[in-house]
Amino acid sequence: MPGAELINIINKKLPDFKVVAVTRPYPDELVIQVKAEDFKKVCLAVHEHLSSSVMSFFAVDDRQQQGKFILYCYFINVPLHQWVAVRLDISPADPYFEAISKDIYSAHLFEREIWEMFGLEPKGNPDLRRLRLHDEVWPVGNYPLRKDFQTVTEGEKKDYKFTRVEGEGIFEVPVGPVHAGIIGPGHFRFSVAGEPIINLEARLGFTHRGVEKLFEGKSLPAGLQLAECISGESAFAHSLAFCQAAEKIAGITVDKKTAYWRSILLEVERMYNHVNDIGGIALDVGFSFPAALAAIIKESILQANEKLTGNRYLKGVNKLGGISLKMDQSRHEELTTSLGRIREDFAVLVNILEESVSFMDRVDGTGTLKKEIAEDLGVLGLAGRASGIPIDLRKIFPGVYQEAGIKIITAQTGDVLARLKVRIEEFAESGRLTAEFLSKISTAETTGSKSGPAVDGALGYSEGWRGPVLYWLKTGTEGLIERCKIVDPSFHNWPGLSYAVLGEIIPDFPLCNKSFDLSYSGSDL
Amino acid sequence: MRFLPVLLIIILAPLLGGLITKIKNNLRMRQGQSIFQPYYNLVKYFNKEEVVSGTSSWIFKMAPFAIFASSLAALFYMREFLALIFIFALGRFFLSLAALDTGSTFGGMGSSREMFISSLSEPVACLACFAVSLQNGSTDLLAWKSLPLANTSALIAGVALFLVMIAETSRIPIDNQETHLELTMIHEAMILEYSGRSLALIEAASYIRQMIWLLIIAQVLLPLTDPVGISGSQWLLWSCWYAARIVIVAAVIALLEIAVAKMRLFRAVDFFGFGFVLAAIAVLCAVLGY
Repeated sequence: MPGAELINIINKKLPDFKVVAVTRPYPDELVIQVKAEDFKKVCLAVHEHLSSSVMSFFAVDDRQQQGKFILYCYFINVPLHQWVAVRLDISPADPYFEAISKDIYSAHLFEREIWEMFGLEPKGNPDLRRLRLHDEVWPVGNYPLRKDFQTVTEGEKKDYKFTRVEGEGIFEVPVGPVHAGIIGPGHFRFSVAGEPIINLEARLGFTHRGVEKLFEGKSLPAGLQLAECISGESAFAHSLAFCQAAEKIAGITVDKKTAYWRSILLEVERMYNHVNDIGGIALDVGFSFPAALAAIIKESILQANEKLTGNRYLKGVNKLGGISLKMDQSRHEELTTSLGRIREDFAVLVNILEESVSFMDRVDGTGTLKKEIAEDLGVLGLAGRASGIPIDLRKIFPGVYQEAGIKIITAQTGDVLARLKVRIEEFAESGRLTAEFLSKISTAETTGSKSGPAVDGALGYSEGWRGPVLYWLKTGTEGLIERCKIVDPSFHNWPGLSYAVLGEIIPDFPLCNKSFDLSYSGSDL
Repeated sequence: MRFLPVLLIIILAPLLGGLITKIKNNLRMRQGQSIFQPYYNLVKYFNKEEVVSGTSSWIFKMAPFAIFASSLAALFYMREFLALIFIFALGRFFLSLAALDTGSTFGGMGSSREMFISSLSEPVACLACFAVSLQNGSTDLLAWKSLPLANTSALIAGVALFLVMIAETSRIPIDNQETHLELTMIHEAMILEYSGRSLALIEAASYIRQMIWLLIIAQVLLPLTDPVGISGSQWLLWSCWYAARIVIVAAVIALLEIAVAKMRLFRAVDFFGFGFVLAAIAVLCAVLGY
């Protein structure tokens, strides 16, 4: 039986637990199917044993074929380089399940999502306010990700209730969703005592476009095009995660040259976003010279992108089972030299920032997210590493990163400075990796392999610049997408921001916000 | 004859703002907007329709005139520094009131921060003024009987006044005119609700106020006696130097804005604490005759 070791460990904790089925649909995925009464306990046991937060948690409406809803709760097994999913089948007659978020907080937002999109109630979750279907617009009783959802049925509309903080001298400061700058829409409700922030509640969902619904019924290539548009600055990370899921289903293993190119482009995306954020952090504290320099560096990377792929934001490059790049020797050399120049400019930028006392004074110790809180909230990726959580999918599922010997960059303090430093070091590491991959690429093999297509749902993943991007994909008999669940790291990390700003003053919020730089569209879907 | 300089200041004040922006942009390796952009903006605002919040009262509509009037009045009292401080305070009072009046999120924040900052900066301004007055024998900071170029007291007082001027003209490291982050704003937060003609009046008033501050600081740090009884060519030279001093101060401001980051709001206490100590030293030096 696959995963016997893990089942044994669960059985030690839960002696009367009987597993329904354990499958290993792909080498890197283990699915443990359990009964309804065991679901919460097994999730908790897996969570504790793997010390993994909930990476993805979603429902699938399979009432047409199998007459049931299916829940998957994904954890990550770092030492075994494996994803562990706990599966629960729910009968449409009893559309509820036992909430796990009281014990595993990182499941909280996922449970609210499952409730609003599928109408499957997480029994015991005290907060079932909807995330994306705003109560003022969407009447109750509409569950758009159910397969039989056609149009909105009119019904009762409610008002959204913010968490209230009361006391002498406490004020509420509502900000957004329309902001003074040209940024995404999000509403922030601050409870303040003078300038210090007592509580922050972010209300998002203003850019909800129903993309998961849009995926349904699309062919895989059409789905790939859509995946690139989920979050513009992570276009490549999203397309890569989608491709991996689709390739797992189709049974394709890509050749080494493609794997190299994909890693290079993923690193280049990381580089332009990191330098953009470093500039953004400087600009948000009014330090405009390094911000201007960062803008120049970012632009030169984007121009290199365009020369290389024909698209500044690396869209349209990934193909299922391959990559569409026309490379010759001169272009290869051009890329190598321009990346070298970019790395030199970057060193100047870092030097300016580190030498500036007034700048360091602003970022040092501001917006601290402690490791314990970050772990409980399930904060991942860059923000997680800055708080001392050493999770990086490039290390856990290395592929071609194995030979380059990737270094995970972490910091311990969890403040703006830590997130800045992680960015700075990751930029340098990405530059090194890119150069190394470029030097190896000409001798790489160009033959991949193909086995038969699979029918199970598959998880595709990539470590984007912000953190892990996960795509869970299931296709039907005609090869059309039946369900696509996207998890952008922003979804995990928004609660982290709300905690990081506690005790800070309101004028420091934009700085904390920029240091996380989360995506509205990636989180709102 | 008294109206000519006043008129000149009103006309040239936006140019000075444009100049500082231009220098900043060039320092940032950018071409930047034309130095005449402030004029284009003012014309644009004057021709635009004004949007007034339904919840605001007559204070909101009246305040821009009061603010502009305070800047105009300041032009006639430039030779009486103490009066100047209070005339500016009057304008600030109305602006803060108007910002509260709309009941918007940011107006209130801007007002409270502005009051916080000005409560720190005004004592520094007064004390620095006393230091210079002790040397000069009058609170007229623009008139020097002689030219004490290496006057320690005046130099230190000038630096203290420079710190005050940074706050008064809402510049880095206290405030940031260029920011789009509404939560960090001070001056900009207060005028966020204004548009059209009212906005133009407030902006024009700010330019004039900035010009007055620069004139005073240039005069304290690089003093120049009044052009009494000098011939035509000398008069030309005098005018050139007079203008050049202001450009020098403007360039220093631009350089400072590029070189440092904006400080945390509550650090303003340290900033003006430093200013106050400087001003106190200046007074001490003046008493001791340095």
